[in-house]
Amino acid sequence: MVSATTFLEARGVRRSFGTDPILRDVNLCIRSGESVSITGPSGSGKTTLLSILALLLKPDAGEVWVAGSETSSLSDRERSRLRNQFFGYVFQATHLVGSLPVLDNVLVPALIAGSGRGRRDYARSLLAGLGLGNRENHLPHMLSLGQRRRVALARALVLEPPFILADEPTNDLDPRRAGQIAEFLLGLPARGHALVIVTHDRALANEADIRLDLHDGVLRDAAESSDEPSVDETEAAVLHDPFARVRGTTLDDQQ
Amino acid sequence: MIRLILAGLLRRRWQSTATILAVGLGVGLLFAAVLLQRGLQQGLELGRQRLGADLLVVPATAIVDPDRALFAGSPLNVYMDRGLGDKVKAIPGVRRTETQFFTQSLRLECCSVDTEIRLVGIEAGVVSRLAAMSREGVPSLQSDEVIVGGRLLGGVGKRGSLVELLGGIFKVGFRLEPSGTALDYSILMPIDTARKIAGKSEALQFLWKEAGRPENLISAILVEVESEGDIPRIAEELERIGPVKVIRAGETFQRFKKLTDAFILVLAAAGAITAIGGIVYLVSHFASVAWDRKGEWALYRALGASRSRTVAFVVGEAVVLSGSGAIVGLPLGYAFFCWGLSRLAAQNAFPFVPPSAELLAVAASLAVVLYVLVGIASAAVPAVKVARLEPALTMAQGDID
Ligand SMILES: Nc1ncnc2c1ncn2[C@@H]1O[C@H](COP(=O)(O)OP(=O)(O)O)[C@@H](O)[C@H]1O
Ligand SMILES: [Mg+2]
Repeated sequence: MVSATTFLEARGVRRSFGTDPILRDVNLCIRSGESVSITGPSGSGKTTLLSILALLLKPDAGEVWVAGSETSSLSDRERSRLRNQFFGYVFQATHLVGSLPVLDNVLVPALIAGSGRGRRDYARSLLAGLGLGNRENHLPHMLSLGQRRRVALARALVLEPPFILADEPTNDLDPRRAGQIAEFLLGLPARGHALVIVTHDRALANEADIRLDLHDGVLRDAAESSDEPSVDETEAAVLHDPFARVRGTTLDDQQ
Repeated sequence: MIRLILAGLLRRRWQSTATILAVGLGVGLLFAAVLLQRGLQQGLELGRQRLGADLLVVPATAIVDPDRALFAGSPLNVYMDRGLGDKVKAIPGVRRTETQFFTQSLRLECCSVDTEIRLVGIEAGVVSRLAAMSREGVPSLQSDEVIVGGRLLGGVGKRGSLVELLGGIFKVGFRLEPSGTALDYSILMPIDTARKIAGKSEALQFLWKEAGRPENLISAILVEVESEGDIPRIAEELERIGPVKVIRAGETFQRFKKLTDAFILVLAAAGAITAIGGIVYLVSHFASVAWDRKGEWALYRALGASRSRTVAFVVGEAVVLSGSGAIVGLPLGYAFFCWGLSRLAAQNAFPFVPPSAELLAVAASLAVVLYVLVGIASAAVPAVKVARLEPALTMAQGDID
């Protein structure tokens, strides 16, 4: 049964593309204030799983429960409302709207919810907290990748959703930028958000309360499956531990 | 929502401008075509009413341009015996006759236009017929009162205003509505008054020496018949009453109407072709824009916009574009119409009724509504398609930052 603290749950989730089974039998349960990391080789279906959890994609079979409702039976309007109010999704490719300045990009979920005005000050404070206080009126193409990721992060947080889902948020960033983002994300559970983070970065993954590994379409405890290091793990090792190096420093906006 | 739409449009500034101009041109041409066409049609109907006759009898020696004569009577100093009028009346099947006496043309040299004003004497019956077609019309005229054409005495031609004609002072009885015909430049007066003026005119004395006193003369007889079927027979009988020429109103009117109809058709076709061309462009434009940007729509879906919101958003953008196009197009179309009107009015034989406020409003809303509907319809189809797709799948395909 779904208890009051079990906010997000996947049961027996399956999904294939064409004849390729990507997710075979995924079971997952995330409660408020928890952090979960998901690792796994490229193409193992991490993004697919995250999309299914965030109601951006329907599973072929299995159930996704959000806040006590089984979502496959919900209307489009209700699913859309859940996406808007319950999930903050940080896409791997930041997916900002090129025509909108940074502040408006952050406000898009609020504009959709009809609360654009009320969230303005909060959006500003988020940007300031992420070291982008002086970039509010810039267009996305004027920003570096690290800055765009932080804008996407602010957008995911603007409606203060219970769940933040981040898809490889530190990818392609130098260790310093990656560390800033990682620290910000890992601070979220303490502020009441549940965090699901997909990453190749072993060090970052290890900071999560629950560490899972996606392999052959099934989620396993990362501690069990980490006996034989995956390709990604070796990559991560080469990158040192960016998170540890920047811990304690403040976010800034230097390139 | 509105903010997102406007930001999107501003980003694609050139594309948006091109769309707005294309819609504007389409709306403008359609608007102008509708106005011109309705104006011509109403002008024709009015001409038909003003004609009020099935047959026009003029002296055999008169060289008459039937198209002009039909709308304004015979503009020539050629006369026939007044008694012919009674003979015409006696023909079986003739319901009513009106006789006219053409006095002369005054050359009006003013404002760099060189126009002839025709002084024509008309019977009392004509007065009431014309009065019915004028807002200020009165059913009868005093002997010193005149009816002035719709393009004469602009601001001063009110009832009771005084005008001097060939040395005499006259009062304005009423002013006709402009009709685009020679009537616009005519001054009509009671037939006896017209004869008196003509009789006194030095310049015309030679005419009276030849034809007799003006009191006994007329220049045209308008004939209305009991039934249309009788027209050929009556026309034949009329030709036998004396040295006259008979112009069949029906015939010339029909000929004229056919010509105008053809013109109206060409105009309507041109309007339709521009409308269709504009519509085809819009449909493909909105469809491809909506499709190209499916990644953006999918992002809004992913961030919580429902299907219906997303469709409303895509369609809203199309409405903003086609609506702005329409706003640009209306003055454009009106300017084009005014230009067309001035071209047509230059040939004053062409009957044309300027559009009423209602017609303007109807034509304007017709053009706007049509184009906005097209914008909605052509954006709605791809919008619905995009909204149906799962956001994650669409986003993976879409190209956004
Ligand atoms: N829309 C799609 N159509 C077809 N195949 C897809 C689609 N999305 C993902 N896949 C395939 O599913 C597998 C898992 O993809 P993804 O979830 O993005 O993996 P990961 O995020 O772990 O790298 C890949 O082999 C990918 O090619
Ligand atoms: Mg991925």
